[in-house]
Amino acid sequence: MIDPRSAFIIRRERRWRLFSFLAILLTAAAIVVLINGLLASCVLAFVIAYLCAPIVDFLEREGLRRSTATLIPFLAGGTLVVIGTILILPLITEQLEVLISQLPRYQRDLTSLISSIEARYGVYLSTGQINLSQNINHWIIGRTGDLSVALPSILSQSFTVLLLAPFFAFFMLKDGNAVARSMLAFVPNQFFEIALNLRHQINEQLGGFIRARFLEAAIVGAVVWIGLQIIGFPYATVLAIFAAVTNLIPYLGPIIGAVPAVLIALVSQEASIDTTPTVTLLLVSSIYLLAQLIDIVFVIPLVVARIVDLHPVTVVVMIIAGAEVAGILGMVIAIPVASAVKLTFNALYLHLTNFRD
Amino acid sequence: MNFLWDNIFKKKGEQTAQSVLKENILFQDLSEGELRFLERCVHIRHYHIGESIFRQGEVGVGMYLIIKGRIEIHVVDPQASDEASREVFITELLSNDFFGELSLVEDNGRRTATAVAREETTLIGFFKPDLLEVLARRPAMGTKITLRLAEVLGRRLKETTEKVTELRRILKDHP
Repeated sequence: MIDPRSAFIIRRERRWRLFSFLAILLTAAAIVVLINGLLASCVLAFVIAYLCAPIVDFLEREGLRRSTATLIPFLAGGTLVVIGTILILPLITEQLEVLISQLPRYQRDLTSLISSIEARYGVYLSTGQINLSQNINHWIIGRTGDLSVALPSILSQSFTVLLLAPFFAFFMLKDGNAVARSMLAFVPNQFFEIALNLRHQINEQLGGFIRARFLEAAIVGAVVWIGLQIIGFPYATVLAIFAAVTNLIPYLGPIIGAVPAVLIALVSQEASIDTTPTVTLLLVSSIYLLAQLIDIVFVIPLVVARIVDLHPVTVVVMIIAGAEVAGILGMVIAIPVASAVKLTFNALYLHLTNFRD
Repeated sequence: MNFLWDNIFKKKGEQTAQSVLKENILFQDLSEGELRFLERCVHIRHYHIGESIFRQGEVGVGMYLIIKGRIEIHVVDPQASDEASREVFITELLSNDFFGELSLVEDNGRRTATAVAREETTLIGFFKPDLLEVLARRPAMGTKITLRLAEVLGRRLKETTEKVTELRRILKDHP
C-alpha cells in the first residue's frame, strides 16, 4: 500500500507536470495561430522537414554529422529553387500576365455561354427566381477583381512564409528530437510511455502522408503539364502547377484543379449551347482524367491508402471545416490534423479504459 | 528472486546514467562516441515511493534501467480468492538492473507485471521509438544493440524452457 504522504506528492507532481506540459503546448499553439503568417510558415516548415527527413537520415547513416547532413539538402534545395526561378519564373509570369489580361474576355465569353444556357432552359431557372448569368457574372467579377487586388499582398506574405519556413525546417530537422525530448520530460510518468509512442506514431503517419501526397501532386502536375504541352494548350505550366497544388486537397482538389483548364477550353470555343463539346475540351478533360486515373490506380493504393485510415465522410467534413477555419491551407492540412487527432484519441481512450485497473 | 526477473548480467558499484548504460549488456559493445549518442536518445525519469512505473496489462513500449532506487515487481492474480492475496510479489530490482526489455521487440505487447518504486528512484527509459531512431540514424550501432537484445531474450527463453521442463518433471513425479 502507498502511504498518504507519498500519494499526495505523486498526485501534486503529476498535476504540475501535466499543467506545465499543456501550458507550453497551448502557448506555442496560440503564438503560431495568432501571429500573422506564422501558421503557414510552420505548416510549410513541417512539410519541408518531413520531405527532407529521409535524405538527412541517409546522409547521417553515411557518416556525416547531423548538422552537416541537414545543411546539404537545404543547400541543394536552395540551388534548385534559384535555378528553377531563373528558368521557370519568367515563363510562369508571362503565362500569368497573359491569363490575367485575358480574364475579362473569358469572363465575357463565360457569361454569354451561361446566358445561352439560360435562354434555352430559362423556363426551369426562372421558376426558382434565379438569374443565373447575372449571379455567376457577379461572382466571377468579384473573384477576378479580388485576385488582382489581393495579388501583391499575397505575394509579399508568401515571400515572408517562403523565407521563414526553410529556416524553421532546418532547426526542426537538426534539433527537433532534442526539443521533443525536452517537452516529453514534462509529461507525467503515468502518461510518459503513451506520449512517447504517440509522438512516434504521429510522426511516422504524418511523414508518410506528406511524402505520399507530394508524390501524388508531382505525378498529377507532370501528367497534366505533358498532356497540355502535347495538345498545345495555353498556360500549360501555370495550369499544371495549379492542378498539382490543388491535388493536395483530398476529393475536392482534383475537381478544383481541373476547373480553370476546362473553363478556358469551354469559353475558347464558340459560346453557344448548340456547340457540341469540341475536341479540345475532350482532350483537356481526358488529360485531367488520365492524371487522376494514374493517381487512383497506382499512387493511392500503393502509398496513400495504407497511411491514413479515415472514412470518406469524415474526410469531406474535415475539409469543409478546414476551409471554414483557414481557407485553402485549412483544406490541405485538415486530413493530417484529423488523423493525428484520431490517433491521439484512440491511444488515450485505450490507455485510460482497457489497460488501467 | 524470481528467475525470469533475475539480472544475470549485473555488475556492482555506484552508478550514474553513463555508467549504467556502459555496463548494461545491451550496450556493452558500443564505442564511447556511440554511448554519447545513446545518452541523447534515452530518457531519465524520476519516481517517488509507491509510484508505478507501469501496470500489468498496459501496452509496453520499452525497457528501463535503474540508476538508483529500488523497484518491486508484482503480478495480479485474478483467480485469488481475497483482495489481500491478489498481488503476488515476484521480485525486487536494484541499481544497474533492467526490466521490460521484451517490449522493445513486441508489437503492442502488454506488460505481464506491475513495477512500483519502493524508494525514490531514478530510471533510464529506452523505448522502441528510440531504438528505431538509432537504427535509422546509426544502423551499425542499432545492430549491435539488437544483437545483444536477441541474446538476452534467447537466454531468458532458454531459462524458461529449462524451468518448464523441471516443473513438468516435478508434476510427473508428484501427480
